[in-house]
Amino acid sequence: MSKRKNVFGKKGFTLIAVMMTVMLLVSACSGGGSGKKGENLESIQGRYTPDANTPAWKLDKKEETTKLTWYVNADWWNTDFGNDVVTKKIKQDLNIDIKFITGDDTKLNTFFAGGDMPDLITTFGINSPVVQKASSWALPLDDLAAKYDPYFNKVAAQDTLNWFKLADGKTYGYPNYSNTKQDYDKGTIPAKTAFIIRKDVYEALGRPSMSTPEEFRSVMKDIKAKFPEMIPFGFNSIGEGTGSLGDVLQDFIGVPLEDQNGGFYNRNLDEDYLTWLKTLNLVHRDGNISDDSFADNGTAFEEKVKSGKYATILLDGTPQQGGNLQMFMSANPGKEYIAIDGPKSTVGNKPKLNQSGISGWMITFITKKNVDPAKSIQLYTYLLSEEGQMLMNYGIEGETYVKNADGKVQFTPEVKDLQQNNADKFKKDYRMGEFMFFGHDRHKALSNDAFPESIKQMQEWGKGKLVPHFILENIDPNQGTPEARALSAINTKWNSSMVSMIRAKDDAQFEAVLNDYKKFLQDNNWDNIVKIRSDKMKANKEKLGL
Amino acid sequence: MNKPVAVPSAEGSTGILKPPGKKPAGQRVKEFCVDFVKQWELQSMILPGILFMIIFNFIPIYGLTIAFKSYTVIDTIDSAPWVGFDNFRIILTDHYFWDSVVNTLGISFLKLAIGFFVPIILAIMIYELSGSRFKKFVQTVSYLPHFLSWIVLGGMLITWVSTTGLFNEVLLSLGLISKPQNILLDPDKYWWIAVLSDIWKEAGWGTILYLAVMSKIDPTYYEAAKIDGANRLRQIWNITIPNMKMIISLNLILTVSGLLGSNLDQTLVLMNSQNRETAEVINSYVYRMGMTQGDFSYATTVGLGVSIVSVILLVTANKITSKLNDNQSVL
Repeated sequence: MSKRKNVFGKKGFTLIAVMMTVMLLVSACSGGGSGKKGENLESIQGRYTPDANTPAWKLDKKEETTKLTWYVNADWWNTDFGNDVVTKKIKQDLNIDIKFITGDDTKLNTFFAGGDMPDLITTFGINSPVVQKASSWALPLDDLAAKYDPYFNKVAAQDTLNWFKLADGKTYGYPNYSNTKQDYDKGTIPAKTAFIIRKDVYEALGRPSMSTPEEFRSVMKDIKAKFPEMIPFGFNSIGEGTGSLGDVLQDFIGVPLEDQNGGFYNRNLDEDYLTWLKTLNLVHRDGNISDDSFADNGTAFEEKVKSGKYATILLDGTPQQGGNLQMFMSANPGKEYIAIDGPKSTVGNKPKLNQSGISGWMITFITKKNVDPAKSIQLYTYLLSEEGQMLMNYGIEGETYVKNADGKVQFTPEVKDLQQNNADKFKKDYRMGEFMFFGHDRHKALSNDAFPESIKQMQEWGKGKLVPHFILENIDPNQGTPEARALSAINTKWNSSMVSMIRAKDDAQFEAVLNDYKKFLQDNNWDNIVKIRSDKMKANKEKLGL
Repeated sequence: MNKPVAVPSAEGSTGILKPPGKKPAGQRVKEFCVDFVKQWELQSMILPGILFMIIFNFIPIYGLTIAFKSYTVIDTIDSAPWVGFDNFRIILTDHYFWDSVVNTLGISFLKLAIGFFVPIILAIMIYELSGSRFKKFVQTVSYLPHFLSWIVLGGMLITWVSTTGLFNEVLLSLGLISKPQNILLDPDKYWWIAVLSDIWKEAGWGTILYLAVMSKIDPTYYEAAKIDGANRLRQIWNITIPNMKMIISLNLILTVSGLLGSNLDQTLVLMNSQNRETAEVINSYVYRMGMTQGDFSYATTVGLGVSIVSVILLVTANKITSKLNDNQSVL
């Protein structure tokens, strides 16, 4: 018996060992070959004749469903397709089936290294090497539009196309949330920055002005005296940046974006801005800025917003805090935060509030290995058109939304209920506002529900105060260069210098920190950085036609 | 019943275990081959493990070459241009990097100097507790912080040390300070915050290994000691600690080799603009350069340097502990 058992055991061993080895070898060696395709744009003869006045997706008679692989460089992207209202409609109208793949830079890198590219790639950051070298792996949208779908040029924003032009004069990627000058001028995008104060505090103090440094300082003292439980002045969590006390405050008091010659201007050293930093320093010395605000992370800050701990806040990103502000407003009627004029320039500058710029967010490319470039550009056109934008934001008219007499758009009661009370099901079945390739802010203005009640007054206050900052976009030195490293060190230095200046014990310390920062600039290649930035600003202006 | 199994394994092991040098080399190779063929089923079982190591541990070493290249995400490791020692030269002149080295070493040595002994003492104290219920309670409570991530714990800590938080309330009411202050903004105190909060989080968990070893100590030792009139402290000193020698040195080696692998999550949560100069550690610096600046080559260079130093530390620690353990080496 023992012998038989042993023999069996031995065979079992052998079998397992061999199987494991084979399995490992097979899995290690698979994934080799790949179907390569030529780069030449294929002909659409027999399918349809492109027409400048009709989107090509309406003309295309291709019967077989086009299967596209779409890589999104973000792990959080929802890879579902064709099961919810939004993507089902896209699937139907275009007769396509999309397989989404998600990942991070490592996965993106394996595509480039292995040459086995997906049909579409969505990535982030116009300044990244992937985007800057797109001509080596993506198809130019200009050529695709000319050959397959001239209607694309009617729905794409010309400014955005120009902005994304590479050195060869062609545009390869198209972003979402790209705001153009037109959007700024028309007022379709709301401001996201505001100086807000609790209404009860404001009323109790007799609606004081706090636009000059002196007024600001004395009102902070009054707040402390009347409401000792509150922190008189708050601001966004600083982290590795500047919270809302750096460029946000600079925009708020309207520090110039460029110097007189149109070159780069170090706004951190602007006299007007430094006057306000000094004021903040005095307020801190009075004990009216809490040290905790410098150590708080985002969560701690939000907690305080939610509970109304701050009397006043210089708040950047009102929509992000909309929920917290709404919670406080609902629980404390009459005490809600309202936007007032707040700090103003000491030299008469007008506010230059910033919003999302022209560079947008997610940038989508059609790769050279694309199986059906014609279908792909049709998809761009479709999503960018009024029809696609409405679909992505609000779904299907009559089914998920209705248009009121005043032209405003509203979700149907069932859909709205689901959105508010069962977000998971809403995402699964409807997915409006989430499938946002090429989605833009301008359609949000069509609905009254786009933003919570709590921030509407703040957005109203910001009307007419937005100024495009496009010339300052993507002007940092290229990644990996000595200047980029120096700039990273300088930014770190500014992060600590700014806070140290506000926390300075006396004027002498304030000046010492400031001088130390100035010296740091000189020791870290600052002149070269300024030159690179000025050159890039010049290139930006050319792209924008300024 | 065991015979058929026992005999071949005994034969197989003799050739390998015999001290080398007694037989001519040719014969040894031959014996090795004969043994290998005899055991080929067993030997082939480690093949997947070896392959796994080659694919996932050895081949990626090739990726270290990007430390000598200028690499971006759309390059392959091959196609990126060589830049020689440029990245190393930049590091040598980067004072933020050197700050991070000083902080890493400072915090790690403090953690080693204090944090290494706390779990040992705590384990002995728990071991000496009578009453198993109370013992279990103490153990459980001391493990608890280990299971919270630094993200959660750091958030709690930020609240506790805030000007209106627990620490200031206690210190104020004890009259130890006159004005509340946020110690997270004080660069001089950061090392201690990092070290003490880490010890508080991990000390309880660190006792597990020691307690396991102590439970294996033969109780007759203690009985004999008691008869000889040794008090509790004597027993601990002469029985418990000598029995823990091996595990203590193993732990020491592992801790020392990880000296440069400072705590990334802790740093990212507790660091702010004011304490950065003493809070930034190598890991957080590599993270910032590699991930947020997209400077992979530079980050790899730093990583490579850290690995080399870690290996040196590991070997040195092993040498030292083997001296202490009568030339018995753990590794």
